[in-house]
Amino acid sequence: MSYRDYIRNFSIIAHIDHGKSTLADRLLEKTGLVSERDMKEQFLDNMDIERERGITIKLQTTRVVYKANDGNEYIFNLIDTPGHVDFTYEVSRSLAACEGALLIVDATQGVEAQTMANAYLASNEDLEILPVINKIDLPSADPQMAIDEIEEMLAIEAHDAPQVSAKDGINIDVLLEAIVNKIPAPEGDENAPLKALIFDSVYDNYKGVIIYTRIVDGRVKKGDMIRLMATGKVYEVTEVGILAPGPVPFKELKAGEVGYITASIKQVADARVGDTITNNDEPTSEPLPGYRQVQSMVYCGIYPAGTEKYEAVKDALEKLQVNDAAFVFEPETSQALGFGFRCGFLGLLHMEIIVERLDREFNLSIVTTSPSVIYRVTKTDGEELMIQNPSNLPNMVEIAKMEEPMVKANIMIPNEYVGAIMEICQERRGRMDHMEYISENRVVLEYIMPLNEVIYDFFDALKSKTRGYGSLDYEFIGYEQSKLVKLDVLLNKELVDAFSMIVHESKAYARGRFVCEKLKDIIPMHQFEVPIQASVGTKVIARETVRAYRKDVLAKCYGGDISRKKKLLEKQKEGKKRMRQFGSVEVPQEAFTAVLKYDEK
Amino acid sequence: MTKNRNKKTTGVYVHIPFCVRKCNYCDFLSFAGDEAVKERYVDMVCSEIEAYCRDRSITADTVFIGGGTPSVLKPKLIERLMDAVRTGFSLTGDCEMTIEANPGTVDGEKAEVFKSSGINRISLGVQSMDDDLLRRLGRIHSRKDFLKTYELLRNKGFDNINTDLMFSLPGQNFEKWKNTLEETADLKPEHISFYSLIIEEGTPFYEEWKKGSLEEISDDDDRKMYHFASEMLNEKGYVHYEISNAALPGRESKHNLKYWSMEEYAGFGLGAHSFVEGVRYENTRDMEEYLKLYAKAPDLWKERYNVINRNTVKDNAEEFVFTGLRKLEGIYKDDFAKLVGNDIYDIYSKEINKMVNEGLLKDHGSRIALTKKGIDISNYVMREFIKDKWKL
Repeated sequence: MSYRDYIRNFSIIAHIDHGKSTLADRLLEKTGLVSERDMKEQFLDNMDIERERGITIKLQTTRVVYKANDGNEYIFNLIDTPGHVDFTYEVSRSLAACEGALLIVDATQGVEAQTMANAYLASNEDLEILPVINKIDLPSADPQMAIDEIEEMLAIEAHDAPQVSAKDGINIDVLLEAIVNKIPAPEGDENAPLKALIFDSVYDNYKGVIIYTRIVDGRVKKGDMIRLMATGKVYEVTEVGILAPGPVPFKELKAGEVGYITASIKQVADARVGDTITNNDEPTSEPLPGYRQVQSMVYCGIYPAGTEKYEAVKDALEKLQVNDAAFVFEPETSQALGFGFRCGFLGLLHMEIIVERLDREFNLSIVTTSPSVIYRVTKTDGEELMIQNPSNLPNMVEIAKMEEPMVKANIMIPNEYVGAIMEICQERRGRMDHMEYISENRVVLEYIMPLNEVIYDFFDALKSKTRGYGSLDYEFIGYEQSKLVKLDVLLNKELVDAFSMIVHESKAYARGRFVCEKLKDIIPMHQFEVPIQASVGTKVIARETVRAYRKDVLAKCYGGDISRKKKLLEKQKEGKKRMRQFGSVEVPQEAFTAVLKYDEK
Repeated sequence: MTKNRNKKTTGVYVHIPFCVRKCNYCDFLSFAGDEAVKERYVDMVCSEIEAYCRDRSITADTVFIGGGTPSVLKPKLIERLMDAVRTGFSLTGDCEMTIEANPGTVDGEKAEVFKSSGINRISLGVQSMDDDLLRRLGRIHSRKDFLKTYELLRNKGFDNINTDLMFSLPGQNFEKWKNTLEETADLKPEHISFYSLIIEEGTPFYEEWKKGSLEEISDDDDRKMYHFASEMLNEKGYVHYEISNAALPGRESKHNLKYWSMEEYAGFGLGAHSFVEGVRYENTRDMEEYLKLYAKAPDLWKERYNVINRNTVKDNAEEFVFTGLRKLEGIYKDDFAKLVGNDIYDIYSKEINKMVNEGLLKDHGSRIALTKKGIDISNYVMREFIKDKWKL
């Protein structure tokens, strides 16, 4: 028997809210290295934002020890995966580090869009998929329905799937035994040249970048010279160890094992997810397959607000980038907002997370501009431009052709919402590609849609129209020619470039009106009237006016309570700081994001 | 405006948090209370004053008994309270001694007690001369009650009376306001306060406003009512001397002017504020805590005080400006320089020039004051003077 026979490497995959984190907590609780006292509510999720959103953004891998019924101790490496469409590539690399995946299905909900998407990802990586029916404690649980759906829709055998309640800890021991018995032990040759997969990396102030890795072949220890094959960079290993989930140094990692490597690497962008680590002196001939450089899909401008310093924002962005290889930025200048940064994200959620972290972790006051996708513009002279900032769009007369990125959206909904969802897809210029009843009352719609329409507010609209039951997954499929125009916003007759956006011709009028109405509500009254206009070219297509204000006075004094008055003035002042000055007009920061939000009509 | 820093004169504020019932717009620290609580409370305030003044000689030139509704106290409690004030402080000969009273809570006996205990100024919460509006506000009195009380006080010889009026009330129109104002002014009280209603969180009016059922007065109408009041009172011989206050010449409220002039005042009772030797304090707002402390050890009065702020020079400058600008004559440059140690233009030239350019402030040479337009949006002007940092 090899040491590898007692290792099980697996991920947990699920649709959002099907109980992935809770189940992970239970598994850790029932095994060694983690005591009950250490348990937090969601052990694997270590970021504030994640807890609030209830989804896992950053991976965290944990090694535990399980004493099985056969009397042997098994090492489980539980590799957590992010749970959102924006992070599909990261999910696929985590899965590539495993031999198996627990596919969690909510016994009250059955199979959903991300269940399918994740199951496909897992089978692409040739993983053994172990279905697990969760939430059997709920009165509305229907495990048989879930089993049938898994078998019908995913063609995965599920009749003996463990039926558990992660919340109440029911049948967790059954599941633990199933992991031992069903998930294959890793293969590999510890005597071959080093070949290891980077499936995540995080930045640590003391150790530098911590690479989360799965050793496929060979071994690695402190002092080894390693080479990262995609970047070609060479480093000396300073530490190796296991994740428990915090780093615990070990002497050596070898084929089949999961752990971490540190090598004085300065930023996570140098240790790219999917890259292969090999030994510089005795390299492997071929890197692992599947590496690709992450590609930003959504861009927006981030600018210091009010009195915030440019340098402070730059520092924060650099710090975030150190820990997030998918996040890119470069300096840019806006006429309205001054010096700032153009930032690229995997998707809208990724963008919201970064913006929130700037506010929460760095306490920065920033303005974000309308998110944009990358348009491909061919000029009349044949030059091709990739435009992600509307301000850089050439003059319309110089443009021969504009193309926009398209995605295939996979939407799963209960059948009663089909009409409503087809309507919002059509409103967003979607073309139906395929529609299928996957069960009596569940439908999968496949739409070809412009990414532009998806990032704008599609997910919010979908959730809202289906009372939260709809789910969405999408993938980029290519560029397509489109009739696009630049929509501008003028405040008090002055163009505010930060509000400019590229929209489809057929949408310009509605968007213009919507933006004007929103801004009218958000821009506070000034001492003068503020006209708000939306225009395409020189043509004004919508107009609103913010009235001038007449009164802002505190009548009463509160019995010598000067501090109360001072607090009020300070609060007002604070509000003013969050404003951005455009000419003589003050615009609250939230205006920039509010004009993007879905409005229930 | 003179201030003698060597000779210590202070204002004295006493808070009486009791009311017959709470009005629909009121967010002051006030509530109904039974007689036993009132008595214990007054005893506590007395011992607080006694402890504060012990072994010190403090001269007071204004005393203000505010609330709540201080006039709900029984005569013997008012006497006990005023005894404590007179024993504790040495009062100047021309000391202004005000008590707030609601029409309907004052009878002949109480008026006598006011008089005999040294009170020489009565502030009457009239609010309106319109009975419908008074009911809408949740007031316990009627127009007739007020007229009766007013006459009674005059007959008892009170020659310094303030009437509090409110405008911008739900259901009020310009005519009604004009009537209230005219009828009140015709009685020739020495002082008239006229407050624009503020919808404060935690009041019944706020709840109505949130539901959208409050008949709100537009800002335009509010300002029309306000400026009408200012002009009319001026014609009738009143001096509009503070944003919400007008008085016959020489009858300005000395006590309230202290708040606007960075002068000292010592507050007693629940939630009372003090400004003493450059420090702002707030007394506990918790009645139980207040009374419990008394039972334990009345000498612990100091512990009840929370220091809100030890004023820095920057605090002084800011407060001087935003309180001082409430006075329509404005702030004197000399006073600023004396308090802060720098010329006001050294510190606020950008702010002042901006506000002057916008027509909201005017530099009159020795002083700087709000313009008529500046009054309407005075918060906008004042917050300009609150700065993150100072560069000198």
